[in-house]
Amino acid sequence: MGIMFTRLFSSLFGNKDARILVLGLDNAGKTTILYRLHMGEVVSTIPTIGFNVETVQYNNIKFQVWDLGGQTSIRPYWRCYFPNTQAIIYVVDSSDTDRLVIAKEEFHAILEEEELRGAVVLIFANKQDLPGALDDAAVTEALELHKIKNRQWAIFKSSATKGEGLFEGLDWLSNTLKGGGS
Amino acid sequence: MFSLFYGLWKYMFSKTEFHVLILGIDKAGKTTLLEKIKSVYSNLEGLPPDRIVPTVGLNIARVEASNTKLVFWDLGGQLGLRSIWEKYYEEAHAVVYVIDAACPSRFEDSKSALEKVLRHEDLRGAPLLIIANKQDLSEAVSAEELAQYLDLKKLDERVYMFEAVSAYDGIGIKESVEWLVEVMERSKRTEMLRIRAGVTGAST
Repeated sequence: MGIMFTRLFSSLFGNKDARILVLGLDNAGKTTILYRLHMGEVVSTIPTIGFNVETVQYNNIKFQVWDLGGQTSIRPYWRCYFPNTQAIIYVVDSSDTDRLVIAKEEFHAILEEEELRGAVVLIFANKQDLPGALDDAAVTEALELHKIKNRQWAIFKSSATKGEGLFEGLDWLSNTLKGGGS
Repeated sequence: MFSLFYGLWKYMFSKTEFHVLILGIDKAGKTTLLEKIKSVYSNLEGLPPDRIVPTVGLNIARVEASNTKLVFWDLGGQLGLRSIWEKYYEEAHAVVYVIDAACPSRFEDSKSALEKVLRHEDLRGAPLLIIANKQDLSEAVSAEELAQYLDLKKLDERVYMFEAVSAYDGIGIKESVEWLVEVMERSKRTEMLRIRAGVTGAST
């Protein structure tokens, strides 16, 4: 997986700095996905402003991860991480049906951000290995993905613990970014 | 006051942006068509066919043709994904329906999916371009043969055309896009969408 990943993303952005945000509710599997990709060490930082951002630097691409939901008072600080964002990877725990409504609301709220307007969106319907996990069509419905009309999006079933579906999703992402994004 | 005039000015002189929905069952060649349109009409290169994977979401192409802004929406065609098609109907000015003309065993599937699209209230009056795709393959049937096979009823009140296309090598792409621009410019549906956008635009 690691080598394929290198091949995919090595020349994608040239020398330009790029950012990919990996977002989702807590416990969706975001960090596990990053570990699965073997891109490098995940560095966890808790800035004084009080929310935890994990960063993986991969060549000139920064992958940055944090949990959506929770405290509203810290949200304005999220904006520090928005500039130069080419893509958002949104991770959903497909088996946590109780919280899909919150996952949907948080997702659409973040897409409203002006500075993220040009970012394409990859959704992982994660934790497919768990019983009761919804499939991609059901997660599409629950997240109301059809409301996205101004940017490219794609959804992939995945199991981060088994390493399934991740490569397919990232393949789409790298193709889409090469094709000029939105 | 200024914003009122600005709104009016924008309403009268801004270029209309047309939304074209690309539909069809899986493996028809919708994304290949989209990418070809991109490479013909914009500076973007467009993905080569061998890099295209089945769509599970939305692909977009924004191009300018005949002095008009066009936004193409390409939606996934696998059975489970077709339920989201209708969510995009309301805002579409026209529909492009892509059929793999070299695969007669799936004509029936294509036909029933198309009939369902055409029955939908939200697409009333939308011009329809049916594409007999994959003309680069020797076994592909012509646009006329495909039209005969589909034998679509109730098309007479809708502006429509069949076009033989190869999204792979680009045959028929320009003719298709030019036809779309022409019919969208004078369709009643465009007028209806414009009025609706104007009304909601003024109230926000």
